[in-house]
Amino acid sequence: MIVETDPKDKSICTVTVEDNGIGIPPQKMAEALGKPLVTSKFKIKQSRGQFGLGAKAVTVYALSTTGSPVEAYSSPIDSTRMYYVKFSIDLSSNEPAIYALGSWKLDLDWHGTRIRARIRCNWPYIRSRVLKYFKMLAIVTPYADILFIDPDGKIHHYPRIVDEMPRPPKEVKPHPASIEKGELQMMLKQTTAPTIKDFLITTFQRVGEKSAMNVLRKAGIDPNKNPKQLTDEEVERLYRALRSYRFPAPSAEALAPIGAKLIEEGLRAILKPEFVTAVTRKPRMHSGGHPFIVEVGIAYGGAIEPTETPQLLRYANRIPLIYDEKSDVAWKVVEEFNWQNYGVKFPAPLVVLTHICSTKIPWKVGSKEAVAEKEEIKEELHLALQEAARRLRRYLQEKRKEEEIREKISTFLRYIPEVADSIATILGGNGVSVEEVQKLLINALRRRVQGKELKILEEQVKNLSKIKIE
Amino acid sequence: MSKPPFVDKVDVEARRKAIQAFRERFKALLEQLQRGENPTLILPKRTLANTIYDEKRKLLLLGPEKLRRSLFNLHEAKKFMQTMLMAKIIYEALVNNEYPTIRDLYYRGKHTIVFVDDKGRRREENTWDEQKESDAVLRDIEVFTGMLREEMLILSKEKGKVVGNMRIRSGNDVIDLSKMGHGAWAIEPTPDLIEFIDVDADFVLVVEKDAVFQQLHRYGFWRRYRAILVTSAGQPDRATRRFVRRLNEELGLPVYVLTDADPYGWYIYSVFKIGSITLSYESERLATPKAKFLGVSMTDIFGDPETGKKPYLSEAERKRFIIKAKDADIKRAEELYNYKWFQTRKWRKEIEIFLQKKSKLEIEAVASKGLKFLADKYIPEKIETGDFID
Repeated sequence: MIVETDPKDKSICTVTVEDNGIGIPPQKMAEALGKPLVTSKFKIKQSRGQFGLGAKAVTVYALSTTGSPVEAYSSPIDSTRMYYVKFSIDLSSNEPAIYALGSWKLDLDWHGTRIRARIRCNWPYIRSRVLKYFKMLAIVTPYADILFIDPDGKIHHYPRIVDEMPRPPKEVKPHPASIEKGELQMMLKQTTAPTIKDFLITTFQRVGEKSAMNVLRKAGIDPNKNPKQLTDEEVERLYRALRSYRFPAPSAEALAPIGAKLIEEGLRAILKPEFVTAVTRKPRMHSGGHPFIVEVGIAYGGAIEPTETPQLLRYANRIPLIYDEKSDVAWKVVEEFNWQNYGVKFPAPLVVLTHICSTKIPWKVGSKEAVAEKEEIKEELHLALQEAARRLRRYLQEKRKEEEIREKISTFLRYIPEVADSIATILGGNGVSVEEVQKLLINALRRRVQGKELKILEEQVKNLSKIKIE
Repeated sequence: MSKPPFVDKVDVEARRKAIQAFRERFKALLEQLQRGENPTLILPKRTLANTIYDEKRKLLLLGPEKLRRSLFNLHEAKKFMQTMLMAKIIYEALVNNEYPTIRDLYYRGKHTIVFVDDKGRRREENTWDEQKESDAVLRDIEVFTGMLREEMLILSKEKGKVVGNMRIRSGNDVIDLSKMGHGAWAIEPTPDLIEFIDVDADFVLVVEKDAVFQQLHRYGFWRRYRAILVTSAGQPDRATRRFVRRLNEELGLPVYVLTDADPYGWYIYSVFKIGSITLSYESERLATPKAKFLGVSMTDIFGDPETGKKPYLSEAERKRFIIKAKDADIKRAEELYNYKWFQTRKWRKEIEIFLQKKSKLEIEAVASKGLKFLADKYIPEKIETGDFID
């Protein structure tokens, strides 16, 4: 990604984003990039966080701030041609408005997509947020190579650390308990199922022959009725029956957690801490039927600067959340957490990462920057944090213990020259030399330690000659 | 022609013995090491709990409790190193014919151990910071070697003084203690090396206050009453105590102690008589169990209805001279009341009167009543009539 400020107007930037993905087929380019509101296919999956280019939002933003169209270049993975489109959006029809099209033969062995947009932006003002975004992005995408050249010409490079990619989310049918009434009405209108029973079984997950019959009996609806012919009252009864019936928990396959291992790798590579751990919780539901998974990572010490409160990195469906931190449920959980019980005294070099992935993130407000305080999510965050913090405590305890051993051995060793000198001075002339007494002292010490203590002793003995008496 | 080096025969012998003692103790230490053992010193504990009052011999003695001090024990390592360091410095002074003071020992041993910790940081630690620390290990060396510092020719600042009809040899010189003019002979730091030549006196009077000592000296008290006059000038140091002990033990002179009438005066007397808590290991050599408390006693001030003793002070004089006891005095008196060696009938009476009257008195007050009164009436009369506490 390259951001350059316009030499004539410093408040305008040209943003160029390029990936080396599979590219976009030429006939789909304008639609894929430019159509801001795509209708639901009644299938759900964790929709944010698959890392497309975020092109639709950019197109709208470019249009509304500078009025400039967006340019896109793409070469699909199996193609030898490069396709070009210059487009914007016709807001009245909600359709892409195409300004130019082109295609040419590509000599390079390259595939992927590049998009360029002109937007209004106050770089000095947003600089630190953007940099934080990239840093956070790099932490959860250790499998990606990220290069960002900012308007000051500074290069920010986060090289790839791991080769493994996380599992992408699967598309799954909605869970019957999570459906809204309006959605249900839409689905009933568009279904091709011959009977209402078939409709339930084919449209939703976790619904089989038996549960479909049970729900319909509860709703008082004939299982063989055509779903398109349900009365408003019947729809209302069906909706209530679906809501109250106890279906098995929703499938978590639609969720794409980052995974504890990747979180640890990412935190380790970017923050260079001395200790890192991450926890991925089991899936749960919030608000009746939306599955979610909470992940928490902790990085401690090393290159992390100590701060008065934990430094929080929030993610929702793998997207870094930058704004509105203090109203997020994660902030609340981290702030209320009793760190003292886990051996952390502030100021401490502590970073806490929280990731919530869900088919439906319960946003606090529409801007999608803070997650609302859902009891189930809060509980999972707390449990995950507890588990990670317990590991941190164990690490800190061991570290303290080792430091004590080091200090102990160091104490003994630092007195040895003085003691040896004393014994040799008093017994001097009897063929007792300082070196000899020193050797005897070290041997006597060696016999009294074992395991870790012995290992540390052997390390430190090497420094014995550096002890000076001034 | 260079002069032959000055040799003090007495010192030479002392040095030889001390060096021998050090070598023997350290040989044992080396043998521990050769067996691969943790080098360990076994020392008597110098604590109040391990201080025992021997009722029969009337001495404060070190109890049987022992302390093991090992190098490879985190809480003892530094003390062990300090003890070794102190031994080395004393040994070197002995070998080099030196007479270090305890302050010298502190400075000679005070240096910085510079080491690199395993994070590569340069760190420093002082062998000791305060003289309190080096003084403490010096006391440990005394019990470890079984020698007093005087025997190791370590000097401390001594403030005790003596005059009287007596001749002694100190070093290579003969000193006549009756020819000191207005001054007095400063008791040397190693009183064991003094040789008594001849003496013509009936008793020893130890005065706590230097000023009262000087008044009595100028008045000619010791000549008139055939006394050896000693002052400790406050808390008695070791040399003064050892000197007084030798006067009593070797010359058979009775010892009378004159202090202020307050708990601090009483404690000074008890240090002369039975020893101190911090130096209880030396009581056998320093204490004078037969020393008697001449005054100033509470019954001297207030009289004693029980025995019909009349007070030395009139009502008016009491009003003039008595000082009101402070809280600290009361507290100290209560402590002494619990010490075994103050639990005799006469001492209990002393302390009880003090606690009841809450009054104290300095010897100077008795001198104010008239030096003649102090020298010609108070002291001789009390000795004559046996009006003292044993």
